[in-house]
Amino acid sequence: MTHYDKSTIADLVDGRLEWPQLKAMMSNFKDPDRFDTYIAVLQERVPWDDQILLPLGPHLFVVRKADGSIVTKSRSGYEFGDYRQNWKLKARIRVRDTEASLQELYPAMMHCTPGWMELREYIDPLDGTLLEVEAVPPGYPIIHSFQPDLETFYREWLGREL
Amino acid sequence: MSNGTGSRPRILAIDAGGTMTDTFIINERGEFVVGKAQTTPHDESIGFLNSARDALHYWGMSVEDAFSAMVSGIYSGTAMLNRLLERKGRKVGVIVTAGMEDYLRMERAIQTYLGYSYSDRLHIVTHRHNPPLVPRKRIFGVRERIDVFGKVAIPLYEHEVRAAVEQLLRMDVDSIVVNLIYSFKNPVHEQRVREIAEEVMAAEGRSAPVYLSSELYPLRADFPRLNATLLEAYAAEPSREQLQKVRSVTRAHGAKFDLRVMASHGGTISIDARELARTLISGPIGGVIGAKYLAERIGVQNVACTDIGGTSFDIALITDGEFQIKNVPDVARFLLNIPLVQIDSVGAGTGSFVRVNPGNRRIEIGPDSAGARVGVCYPEGGVDTVTISDCNVVLGYLNPDNFLGGEIRLDRQRAIAAVQQQIAEPLGLDVYAAAAGVVELFEDNLKNDLLGRIIGKGYGPENYTLLSYGGGGPLHVSGYSAGLNFEDVLIPTWAPGFSAFGCACGDFEYRYDRSIDLPIFPGIDDATRMHLGAVINAAWDALADQVAAEFAKSGIPREQIHFKPAIRMQYYGQLNDLEFRSPVQRIEDPGDILQLLHAFDTLYAKIYYNAARTPDFGYLATRAIMTGSVDVEKPALPHRAEAGPVPDPEAQVGTREVYWKGAWIATPIFAMDRLHAGNQIVGPAIIEAPACTLVVPPGRKVRLDQNDIFHMRPA
Repeated sequence: MTHYDKSTIADLVDGRLEWPQLKAMMSNFKDPDRFDTYIAVLQERVPWDDQILLPLGPHLFVVRKADGSIVTKSRSGYEFGDYRQNWKLKARIRVRDTEASLQELYPAMMHCTPGWMELREYIDPLDGTLLEVEAVPPGYPIIHSFQPDLETFYREWLGREL
Repeated sequence: MSNGTGSRPRILAIDAGGTMTDTFIINERGEFVVGKAQTTPHDESIGFLNSARDALHYWGMSVEDAFSAMVSGIYSGTAMLNRLLERKGRKVGVIVTAGMEDYLRMERAIQTYLGYSYSDRLHIVTHRHNPPLVPRKRIFGVRERIDVFGKVAIPLYEHEVRAAVEQLLRMDVDSIVVNLIYSFKNPVHEQRVREIAEEVMAAEGRSAPVYLSSELYPLRADFPRLNATLLEAYAAEPSREQLQKVRSVTRAHGAKFDLRVMASHGGTISIDARELARTLISGPIGGVIGAKYLAERIGVQNVACTDIGGTSFDIALITDGEFQIKNVPDVARFLLNIPLVQIDSVGAGTGSFVRVNPGNRRIEIGPDSAGARVGVCYPEGGVDTVTISDCNVVLGYLNPDNFLGGEIRLDRQRAIAAVQQQIAEPLGLDVYAAAAGVVELFEDNLKNDLLGRIIGKGYGPENYTLLSYGGGGPLHVSGYSAGLNFEDVLIPTWAPGFSAFGCACGDFEYRYDRSIDLPIFPGIDDATRMHLGAVINAAWDALADQVAAEFAKSGIPREQIHFKPAIRMQYYGQLNDLEFRSPVQRIEDPGDILQLLHAFDTLYAKIYYNAARTPDFGYLATRAIMTGSVDVEKPALPHRAEAGPVPDPEAQVGTREVYWKGAWIATPIFAMDRLHAGNQIVGPAIIEAPACTLVVPPGRKVRLDQNDIFHMRPA
């Protein structure tokens, strides 16, 4: 059975593993305890105590609060409400839809054509961390792109109740 | 090994590996000694000398006495490969056709997954670009274009060449590599680039070598051509200095031989050779060269060579006395235009890891391995995943107290516990049945690979003699040859040192290749045939001149060289070409062209099917090849007096419980060095030597012949 200790997983989270080791981990069978070790590492790195149930991104998590409610919460501690609600609607949004704003990121001619496509950056209201970016046509609705089925995931993949 | 005292040492073969330098010295009676010393990377000549001293002390000889008696010295090492892997080469600048500057960043994508297992090839996230040998800022494009016919389509923009060279010199490059599209068809632009570079350098009072791909590797496919040329400038030149140091050490100690290096095409070349990059990969092919030589000596035409080491199972086929050559091999994740002896390597050696796939609960072997760390049974190795060696220890095939002559002690209980926990329990099996299942699966995999290669050649096992060597070959040969009905199964007693022996068997031989891409359409008249013949002759002549020029560096006149012209050909419109020795030395009349085509038809029909032949569309001669060799002394085979079939009683050193197909049987253990020629041993039996173990299962028997080679047959 494949097994990695917690410090290896911590290095993985921090991107500190050397390529040969990273490649070996990718090619090997998945370690059965990876999810729990991974979550434990993440839990140590957030400034709050709510239990992380699922990471949604490097700075965004689904957590269970002390009162039992399950919410989407960022690393800074901002709560976006029930995890079944679209958290993006409560984030600060910057839209890059002009040549000038796109060229802050890309060289001229290497970015999308404003009017055909725009970049939307979802930003943490508390500390300004970039949480997610999407490239969509103007007017495209703000979609809740990933709504996990937590109960099923815990029961059927992890073999325990949520 | 033996007490070669009194006999003159004749041949020296040195293998400088990453950590140890091995020396193999053979005397005129075919007896040999092996020496070992730490490799000294900053100056390999030190490690080389220590290693030679270590070997010679077995014969009580001084280096001076031994070296002055020797007639041949062959060096092979991994120094160049390490330089490449560690990216510690020269500071090279590159000039390419404009628009192609990103060769090394794009790597034709294929270099991002070379050497990967099939599952990783499909697993795109594991693909990764290699750090380039030359950073993008030192690669310049110049506008020019030679077309596919060799005509100038766009003239060379000379001012761009001048500017590129000036900038490269400002960056302080050690050398400049030039690789332009279709330069193998017409080298005029590359040559002009060199002229301009030399003008610029002269004007600035500088000098740096300029490497032209059209001169070094005039072959189709510009990316492998660039890689090969680049390697020459980047890694081969600094390695030449190391080789020169080794040579001066041999000369300072009285050697009169000229040190040679094993090259990828299967011959040895002088260290002064212009193309040294082809010595990059010499280790693994040694065994095939040795097998070819052995086959010649004992009069066998077709040999299936199998080498099991710690990490891989290598298969090579010698058919009609010749091994196959691979055109564009990949080495260290580089596609290279350098001919390489065709060896198919499977990631399955004695150190291969064994795991149970948690998804489908099946045993999976390799492709990664513990290599020199053996397995869980070797606690100092720090391995915690079961390996094939662990299973061999569990089943009693390997003697835990006699691994590498007892240098390393193996812990059988530790191996049993690991197999129990990692394999047996998840599968719900008894620990011994689990270990036996792993070994059986391992040997079945090897057998299938071997059979696949042989059938792919259009032959069957009954046409071949199987030769097994490498540290793990004798251990598993009974398993992977079972039921395949080979003509004979040979296991030389010096199996673990067979690759080093093979290096000593290499011809002194240069080989040059050139793309010609010459269509030979059906229905042509004799005049056209003669015209085609003239083109082929011209290519052969030019290559022969190159061969002669290289031999001249070693003071060998042209008359002493045996020239062997060869050609690669395909049916016009098909994709794969085949290489074969030309039935004629030169194309003298129209019938010679027909002979060439006939030879191709015959070979093609052997490998594929008669029905797949498409001569109606004509042929394409893709490549002209010229090999030139001179006679050098080769190792003598050991020759021992024949004794009776019954081994001496003291040859049996004990008995051990060994697991054979579900039952423990008290099995006699023999010491290999106490057996005599003619002795016959019927399985079950285990024959042990310090560096290898020959397993003879029930139902098989072995006989030791006069040349110190075991023959395995059904009992």
